[in-house]
Amino acid sequence: MIHAASGTSRRLGQLRLALVLLPVLLITLAGSLSVAQEAVELEARVFELAGQLRCPVCTSESVAESSSPTSLEMREMIQEQIALGRSDAEVLAYFQDRYGDWILLEPPKRGLHLLVWILPAVVGAAALVTLFIYIRRWTKAGSQPVEVDPEDRDRVRRALGESQ
Amino acid sequence: MKRLIVVILVATFLGGLFLFGLLRGQPDRNIESNRLGREMPGFELPVHAPLLAEFGPTFEFNPEALDKPIIVNFWATWCAPCRDEAPVLEYAWQEYGDEVIVLGIQTQDRDNQRAGVAFMNEFGLTFPNVIDNSSRVSIDWGLFGVPETYFIRRDGTLAYKHVGIVTNELMDERIAELLQS
Repeated sequence: MIHAASGTSRRLGQLRLALVLLPVLLITLAGSLSVAQEAVELEARVFELAGQLRCPVCTSESVAESSSPTSLEMREMIQEQIALGRSDAEVLAYFQDRYGDWILLEPPKRGLHLLVWILPAVVGAAALVTLFIYIRRWTKAGSQPVEVDPEDRDRVRRALGESQ
Repeated sequence: MKRLIVVILVATFLGGLFLFGLLRGQPDRNIESNRLGREMPGFELPVHAPLLAEFGPTFEFNPEALDKPIIVNFWATWCAPCRDEAPVLEYAWQEYGDEVIVLGIQTQDRDNQRAGVAFMNEFGLTFPNVIDNSSRVSIDWGLFGVPETYFIRRDGTLAYKHVGIVTNELMDERIAELLQS
């Protein structure tokens, strides 16, 4: 009897302990999941911003793609800027201040750079209009009756008559 | 006939573009600094071991407290043109050291201090030389590669940036301009 009573109270004690520990465990787990999620989001934002910057010491590579020490340091600097609460535009402006527009892989939509954005659209539109005009001309020409010179018609008839 | 001319013109244009792409070679690194005419960012970097006694443990560049113009040269131990121009920088220091400061910054050369010291010893460099181990100063200054040499006025603003090897003549000319400004 004594053994049974002590066994029950031990189990009750373990249950109480589990009830106390369970929320603590859940909170810790949720906390670490949220920290991991934040780290993933931060890394993705750093990579996204680095992808918009040209590596200054490489050829045709972005800061995200390059493994040069300069690019590694720039990615570190982007992370620091984000930690300071800077917006994406502010982070890009930070590097633009040092390297000028050259550092941006996507040219800014102002000044002479506008040409890069407008010209392809203008050329594309002009090509479409030209294509449309040509197609209309061809289809029109196909649907109109062909005028044949009566003399030519007679010559063809004569030739056909002779061959038959 | 008219159509043929149009086709030839378009083909020539596209062919020209293709050839330009093929033959343009490496991109030009001689890009004008975005900081031209502006105050350059300050920094404090550790001085290379052989010069500690003369210049102290660190060199501080404060653009607002310069008493002389300063010439800042970025170099690396793996950079062949940097070897060619090292004697020119020493010449400038020997010749104009009383009127201007010549500063060498080893950069893009992480954890390579020992090779940096060997480089200095090889060329007998006596002007202050520091190491930008993280390359952060070179990013702050908008550096595209090595060697690059920055000519800073007494008021801390950038007068001129030279990309590539400097020569004695170039140094004479640019230092004269710096001293007049």
